[in-house]
Amino acid sequence: MNQWLLLGVNSITLGGLLFLLSAGFSLIFGLMRIPNLTHGSFFMLGAYIGVSFLGLGLGFWAAALLAAAAMAVIGGGIERLLLRRLAGQELAQVLVTLGLSFMIADLCLMIWGGDPISLDTPAGLSGAVPIASIVFPAYRLAIVVIAVVIAVALWLMLERTRLGAMIRAGVDDAPMARVVGIRVSRLFTLIFCLGAGIAGFAGVMGGPILSVYPGLDADMLPLALIIVILGGTGSLLGALLGSIVVGFLYNFGQVLFPEIAYIILFLPMLLILLFRPQGLFGRHAP
Amino acid sequence: MAPDALVLGEVDAYYGDSHVLQKVSLRLGEGRLLGLLGRNGAGKTTCMNVAVGLLPPRAGTVTLFGEAVTARPPETIARRGMALVPQGRHIFKSLSVRENLTVAARKPAVGGRHSWTLEAVFASFPRLAERQHHAASHLSGGEQQMLAIGRALMSNPRVLLMDEPSEGLAPQIVGEVMAMVRRLKQQGLSILLVEQNAKLVLDVADDIIILNNGRVAVADTVAGMEASGVDLHHHLGVF
Repeated sequence: MNQWLLLGVNSITLGGLLFLLSAGFSLIFGLMRIPNLTHGSFFMLGAYIGVSFLGLGLGFWAAALLAAAAMAVIGGGIERLLLRRLAGQELAQVLVTLGLSFMIADLCLMIWGGDPISLDTPAGLSGAVPIASIVFPAYRLAIVVIAVVIAVALWLMLERTRLGAMIRAGVDDAPMARVVGIRVSRLFTLIFCLGAGIAGFAGVMGGPILSVYPGLDADMLPLALIIVILGGTGSLLGALLGSIVVGFLYNFGQVLFPEIAYIILFLPMLLILLFRPQGLFGRHAP
Repeated sequence: MAPDALVLGEVDAYYGDSHVLQKVSLRLGEGRLLGLLGRNGAGKTTCMNVAVGLLPPRAGTVTLFGEAVTARPPETIARRGMALVPQGRHIFKSLSVRENLTVAARKPAVGGRHSWTLEAVFASFPRLAERQHHAASHLSGGEQQMLAIGRALMSNPRVLLMDEPSEGLAPQIVGEVMAMVRRLKQQGLSILLVEQNAKLVLDVADDIIILNNGRVAVADTVAGMEASGVDLHHHLGVF
């Protein structure tokens, strides 16, 4: 199979995973104005929790869903117990979420050890699918399909339901939304649970490709930052586009220009910050 | 005797260190219309903010149909039957016209009557029905005011607070807004109306309160005030 095509498939797969990571990050940052530096840890902790569920003999998808649920609860708890008290204080939020990410990293090292854990590809998806004389790895296709399904579901929820309209009203004008009777603080907790849950799910889903290891959180967080700055905060479309761009830059950069792969990754972010600080599809400038 | 719809009892309120309301008491009887007058900065909007829970008072009480709601969160007070048409309208700009109405939809609090639905609001404001799928930010000032009123009605309130609904509108639109206020009053809604334009208020109000520098200067019925010949100009005039 053509090497470039394979690289393209890998880029789109990584883009799908990155979308699941950054969708929640973008919503939390764009809608609640919280720069949540724990988001990479949600991805890693979700993956480790998935490892434990797999160890109990559960199937891959059951483990992924349970890990997502666990991360939703943990994320909601962090929002309610910690971040709620720091509303509007961005520096304090940065420091607390950064501190939490170090604590979670240590906790993971303590519980799951320092060796990388590789997850098996779920049963039934380990083969390859031939499409128009080209053979695609089935699991990578599945990741893309799941990412697209979640993207569409999130978009419909935000733009087409009353719940989504309430969330947007709370973002537009939180005091007025409360006067109208909308329980804004509950909606924000819900967004946080959702973002953390999807990140945890993505962590398990990425396991067979990326494996799970100490430092996975710190590898993922900068990618989420780049994506959200490229695409614009609070925009799902921006997160989707940014994820695919970063997926390509990451894969092609490492193959073509391995010495400057990180420059290639971060340069577009610098340019966007300089010339279009609200991002390609952003609601407001960060 | 039935409790009053809304009572502020000796309310003290501050913005930072500035003492904006000083022992302000007001009483809105059920089914009546209380006009709240005063110069710019007299504390009219602050009274509204205290009533809906946006600004917790430092002292004093807020009572809704006999139930204390002092310093409760705005969303709780809204669910007890209070609705606000705020100064500057504060419609949700990134929502469509229809969404602005549906996010506020609620069954009435106990004691309220369920009469306002999306269809009923559209019937009262046909312009909103025509533009229901437009972004609310694309509406004209008059249409935004109607949307703000419609949004308040969607919660089926028992008490409606209106803060300067005529501000910045063409005379014809002001006429439409005031006709709506009259109609709501006839339907039995208890209304607190804040206005710069004293004449508009005197035409529809049962009772009048005039605030001056954060204190109640005059509290009377419209009839009583006219009988005793209170000099409105003295309290409201700028010169």
